[in-house]
Amino acid sequence: MVKIKYIDRPGLTNRERVFFVDFIKGMRITLKNLLRKTVTTYYPFEKLTPPKRFRGTHAHRVKNGKEPPSFKVLEKFMDIKEGESRCVACYMCQQACPVPELFKIEAVQTPEGKKRVTRFDMNLLNCMYCGLCTEACPVDCLIMTDIYETASYHRAGTVLHLDDMARRAVDFDSRRFDEPDRIWIDDQERSKLWGQIKWS
Amino acid sequence: MELLGTVVVLTIKSLIFIIGMFLGAAYLTLLERKFAGHVQQRPGPLHVGPHGFLQPIADALKVLTKEDLVPDSVDKVLFYLASLMAFVPAIMILAVVPFGDPFTIFGVEIKPYITDLNVGLLLALAFGSISIYGVIFAGWASNSKYPMIGGLRKAAVLIGYEVALGFALVGPIMMAGSFSLREIVEAQQNMWFIIPNILAFVVVIFCILAETGRTPFDVQEAEAELVGGYVTEYTGMKFGLFPLAEWYIATFVLSAITVILFFGGWNPLPLMGWLPIPAFVWFFIKVFLLFMFFLWVHWTLPRYRVDQITELAWKVMLPLALANIFIVAIWIIIFG
Repeated sequence: MVKIKYIDRPGLTNRERVFFVDFIKGMRITLKNLLRKTVTTYYPFEKLTPPKRFRGTHAHRVKNGKEPPSFKVLEKFMDIKEGESRCVACYMCQQACPVPELFKIEAVQTPEGKKRVTRFDMNLLNCMYCGLCTEACPVDCLIMTDIYETASYHRAGTVLHLDDMARRAVDFDSRRFDEPDRIWIDDQERSKLWGQIKWS
Repeated sequence: MELLGTVVVLTIKSLIFIIGMFLGAAYLTLLERKFAGHVQQRPGPLHVGPHGFLQPIADALKVLTKEDLVPDSVDKVLFYLASLMAFVPAIMILAVVPFGDPFTIFGVEIKPYITDLNVGLLLALAFGSISIYGVIFAGWASNSKYPMIGGLRKAAVLIGYEVALGFALVGPIMMAGSFSLREIVEAQQNMWFIIPNILAFVVVIFCILAETGRTPFDVQEAEAELVGGYVTEYTGMKFGLFPLAEWYIATFVLSAITVILFFGGWNPLPLMGWLPIPAFVWFFIKVFLLFMFFLWVHWTLPRYRVDQITELAWKVMLPLALANIFIVAIWIIIFG
């Protein structure tokens, strides 16, 4: 057994007790803060740009030639035109979601025997923005943008639809697709972003 | 005829004082919010008018148009009386506070005070004590647990600090030889009473913080424990009157009395007597600085426990006040 010696909390010294030293210390700090610049943003007039990996409102990347190889495999089974959402209705996002009821995904078979996504609704009132759906997406279609103003006057206004999700992704990619990610992909990229790190 | 003239002059003067105090208190709220904001590195109200300058007016309109709920189980008479009891005595202290020497404009002598009672200081103390009954009444009349606890805590704080405050004010009275606030100021032309009365000044600072319920002693509100304390059941303007009376008007008026007692009232600052600044401006500068000091303390310190507060009152502040009387007595014997 380790012998434990219990010691008392140090009390105030006489100097501290007589001159209220703690009061003076605290008041010095508030005075210093008073003279500092404010750290706030004037929100409706100024808006902070979130980092690229910010988990904001969802969006659908469109078919634009930058698809991952997995999409190339599925492409011939799908009826997707250039500039449309590249969703393949695999339901992986719904499977990954902790609240799967918020997805309403429907797809139909066209007369040519191809698959066409007709509906992809997300009720963001139930969404907790965990980002599991975007990680599950096999074709890099469902992403999260940096848009964080989701308020609406009606509940119906908070439901995302297929076409406006595609539009939002086009907007997001045009603004931030080329921005380097804060997280590196490989060692070369890391040293470019963060400099050479010496591992001990 | 002379009586009628006096009544008219006094009425006009009182109206000016009361309206001025109302507007002043409204803008003191803005001052406090700005100060609190900058202490916490945020700018405070900013968008109503230039730099939030019209915010108090917007706040007043909002509070006045709020629904005024009176809970069923309250004691109606005391419930209404409490907000008045907190507010009216606080503003009545103004009656004895002199803002400057009498001066003459267009051949009319104007006295910048309502009355010059020879027991002015006692009256101020008495009104200051009465205004605390508002809090206790509010706690009792609300018929609810949190306000009740808040009211009782305030009573406990009050009993301790009224005694210490009374003894602390003895020092300046001994040196001036008068209870009249005007004569106390006139006695300080050569030297402010802060010099031998420094202990009394410390006691008075603590007492004002305790009496107006500002932070180290805000146990009666204690929003973390008592959900707002004695104002829990109040709504609308009745709710607004309590902080207005306690935090702004009472603090301002008691700061004025402290300035009169310890900092030479409307006498200019030492070595600055040659500046062309009128007497009442000096007075307001001093009161403003003292008020800012109270804000500074308020937005810095955490809250004492109730037992610590009463311990501080009886074991520290009361002996300090008594020691101050002793020191001042010796000072008077030595220096006349």
